[in-house]
Amino acid sequence: MNWNHVRLIFKREMNDQLRDRRTLFTITILPILLYPLLGMLMMQIAQFNREHTVRIRVVGLENWPVELPLLSEDQQLVPRAGTDNLGKLVEFETLAWPAATNRDELVAQSRLAVSLDEVDAVLLVEPSFIEQLRRRLSVTPPDTNPDLSRPIKQLVGSPESAQSESQAAPSAELTESTESSQPTRVSASTADTPPASKLSLEAQVNGLQLIANLARDHSQIAQRRMDVIVDRWQTEWVGLQLASAGLNPRLIEPLQVTQTDTAPTSVRRAMLWSKILPFVMLVWALTGAFYPAIDLCAGEKERGTLETLLSSPARRREIVWGKLLTISVFSVGSALLNLMSMHLTAGIIVKKLAGEGTTELAQALGPMPVHALGWLILLLLPMAAFFSALALAVAALARSTKEGQYYLMPLLLVTLPLVALPMIPSLEISVGTSLVPVTGAVFLVRSLIEGRYAEALTHLPIVFMVTAFCCFLSIRWAIRQFESESVMFREADRWNLKLWVNNLWRERGDTASPSEAILCGVIILVGMFFAQFVAGGSIASWLDIVKSTVIVQVCLILMPSILMAIFLTRSPRRALRIHRPQLSHLIAAAGIGVALHPSYMALGAAIQEIYEISPEMKLVLAHFEGMVVAQPLWAVLLFMAVLPAVCEELAFRGFIFGGLLRQQGALRAIIVSALFFGFTHTLLQQSIAASLMGVVLGLIAWRTGGVLATIIVHLVNNTLSISLAWCAARKLDLPPILSWAIRADADGWHYQTTWVLLSIVISIAMFVILFRRSSTTRQVVQAEMA
Amino acid sequence: MLEVEQLTKAYPDLQTGQFVALDHVSFSVGRGEIFGLLGPNGAGKTTALRILSTVLRPTSGTAIVNGYNVTTHPYEVRHSIGFVSSNTAIYDRMTAWEMVEYFGRLYGIAPEPLRARMETVFEQLQMNEIRDVAGARMSTGMKQKVSIARAIVHDPPVLVFDEASLGLDVLVARALLEIISDLRAAGKCIIFSTHIMREVERLCDRVGILYHGRMLALGTLPQLAEQFGENDFEELFFTLLQKSDEQRRHTSPPSPAVTHR
Repeated sequence: MNWNHVRLIFKREMNDQLRDRRTLFTITILPILLYPLLGMLMMQIAQFNREHTVRIRVVGLENWPVELPLLSEDQQLVPRAGTDNLGKLVEFETLAWPAATNRDELVAQSRLAVSLDEVDAVLLVEPSFIEQLRRRLSVTPPDTNPDLSRPIKQLVGSPESAQSESQAAPSAELTESTESSQPTRVSASTADTPPASKLSLEAQVNGLQLIANLARDHSQIAQRRMDVIVDRWQTEWVGLQLASAGLNPRLIEPLQVTQTDTAPTSVRRAMLWSKILPFVMLVWALTGAFYPAIDLCAGEKERGTLETLLSSPARRREIVWGKLLTISVFSVGSALLNLMSMHLTAGIIVKKLAGEGTTELAQALGPMPVHALGWLILLLLPMAAFFSALALAVAALARSTKEGQYYLMPLLLVTLPLVALPMIPSLEISVGTSLVPVTGAVFLVRSLIEGRYAEALTHLPIVFMVTAFCCFLSIRWAIRQFESESVMFREADRWNLKLWVNNLWRERGDTASPSEAILCGVIILVGMFFAQFVAGGSIASWLDIVKSTVIVQVCLILMPSILMAIFLTRSPRRALRIHRPQLSHLIAAAGIGVALHPSYMALGAAIQEIYEISPEMKLVLAHFEGMVVAQPLWAVLLFMAVLPAVCEELAFRGFIFGGLLRQQGALRAIIVSALFFGFTHTLLQQSIAASLMGVVLGLIAWRTGGVLATIIVHLVNNTLSISLAWCAARKLDLPPILSWAIRADADGWHYQTTWVLLSIVISIAMFVILFRRSSTTRQVVQAEMA
Repeated sequence: MLEVEQLTKAYPDLQTGQFVALDHVSFSVGRGEIFGLLGPNGAGKTTALRILSTVLRPTSGTAIVNGYNVTTHPYEVRHSIGFVSSNTAIYDRMTAWEMVEYFGRLYGIAPEPLRARMETVFEQLQMNEIRDVAGARMSTGMKQKVSIARAIVHDPPVLVFDEASLGLDVLVARALLEIISDLRAAGKCIIFSTHIMREVERLCDRVGILYHGRMLALGTLPQLAEQFGENDFEELFFTLLQKSDEQRRHTSPPSPAVTHR
């Protein structure tokens, strides 16, 4: 590769992009302006939210217990622990309980007042309120005194969280959860819907009702604030009652849990930022890569300059590298500018919030840790390279910038879930998550930001390898795109279904084409997805298992392959790769089936160590196993070993593998058919094991030139797996003749270590036999690959 | 200098299965010669020239440029050829000087010799006035001059002009023909693709008439006139096309899997 060409192309593309005002604005100016503007907006909204007062009308305040008033004479909230700041945020107006109006009319009037926005909420204090309150307390047996049996979770809640109106649960929810444990509770009803019967009953018991319109934010806030006010009042009132009965008022809250957080404030803040920052940064890295990619590919096609460049001495890979470097610079630049702008804006906002006394949010967020930026840049470089190569490859497909814009959304849809996955609270870095592209890298950087260096170092090699592999693949794809005439000089064809079908019929070959093979795989996967969706949870007996197995194997896996072989190829037998194999290959296949099984079991166990099966799924599997074990072995083997071996092999190593082998090469055929085979398995753990097994089966299918040998391997493998599980579940005695290879313990039947090691040697020997092909087999494979 | 033998290019086609853009085309061009590749739109001229400039790979046949095979030695061929298309292909945000310099550097010319060469080329093409004008602000004529400057900056022995006069006004088109004529005088081997008869009559030493991907006639203008008994070249051209169409109608219909446009 001539790096001078790469440098020249990079320099030109950089100059060109930097001279483009639109690109400059989108990639550089916009982020600089965006965050300060958003920050200003947020501060305005926060200010509005903080200063907003709500209006609550209290009807029947004269009915409130005089020994502990709710409001002072000038209608101000009486200061009470936990409600100090609410006095300024709630405007009360009071009305006497109308003697002439009945209760239902009063409720209707109050609902109208809330609906017309005269007030945000109405609190009805019935004349019988005091009486009901005292009666309720006196009738409660002392040993189940509600105040003494409050849920522990409420008692251990920090005072701050109780005070915080944002964290206060809606009153309706509290009413339900603590219905019988609170002497006083506001029952809520909304202005637009009639109160539920339960709430009405509650209101009659307690004599308090709050009417609010939950469809309006102000009304919701009023409801929450009133709930906090009543909660604090009742705590004080119950304390008074206990004191007057000669009991210690602290009995209300006998437990006080002191909470100690071992994480320093800086680490707590880092944790929060570590979730937000990678997401924002990577989204901008992708966006920053995509727009220059469109201009450098589709834009150049449109202007005709790409053809000139392609006819210059620069090789395609040199052109790709030059453009890739440019796109990467813009991707990194865009992400960094966003990060910096966000950093500065967040710093100013946090400082301002702290200055204005809004310490909760300021404490939670804190300034963005500076060291985080360093780790983020470390993440950004490989990710920008990966996204840039992806964007370049996708943009190369477009004939014009307009068409290029259409490709952004699919690219985002594919990559965003990978970026967003680490934001799921329960997910942490592990071997499993490290193997997921992008996600693993984000987890790694999160660990670094949060100071968990040992954890990060442990997973660094896997993440590095996965990321490097993804970068390699995406760059290779981009180069392939530039080397493809059909991509570079694609013209707009008018697509016509009839023409397309005619063409398919006219152009059909002896075996499937690569695209037909992939289509078959996709049809199978889509069918399987909907079958799972339809049949989910309906398997309750052995008959259900048989039915679903037959439907899946015959209708969803075998039928598409057979129908496509009949209608889209000239020789269905060749398309399904039904050839008579060499006898030595059949013997070797049977040997491989037996010899590989211990390794396959060990692989399955290792995968389950990495990706543990959930307890719920274990229960489902146990239930399934229970139904299977109850059947005779021959029936189980027929439906769960023979049928899948035949159907799956004809589909995956037959039609799909044969189609991919044509023009695509053996390696690609093996890998793609294995992936399709893996994806058809329901559980992730099964999918991984099946994909790896699919690679071995693909290799055998390639060497033997047909599908019969792989059917034998598959069949033997299934038979051994099922038989071992079946015998162990039935608690059968292990035949002494097998004790050298298998041991039985409480967990089931397992292979002896010596046999596992020996089986590996035998497998290698069998593969050596497979690699010796007769001239007939060689000719069959060569004809397929032509 | 340039040898094309049985050159064929076919594309997959939804309607017919396969579309043959070039069907066993052969011709050769010598040093100091202008070869006119004549044909209506869609005749296969651009496909042939794209293969010569190594942008497309032939389905079969060979093309040798300055002794190098376009399939086996594409990078050597690119150093030997200068390609000017009807699409002026100018970078909007680069000046004339920057653009020619960029391609000169890609061709591996060192900075100092490149500067000297560019001064000569800009003088020769009378481009000094537009040296610092950005592509977006250039007229079509200016763009075509820059395009030619880019194609000749590395002084290639073979030059390809693909409908280069398309869209140019009379004055600029005349100037272009003069430039091409000067290049012939400098010993360049030139392929000039067009569908304008007058340009062919005025400029070309030999002509090949391409239609539906096939070479219908090949030779000097007098040879063609003698061969087909028609002195008016435009008439000769239309007669040949009509004959070809009639022949296609009378011969058995093409295989459904292969068509010629």
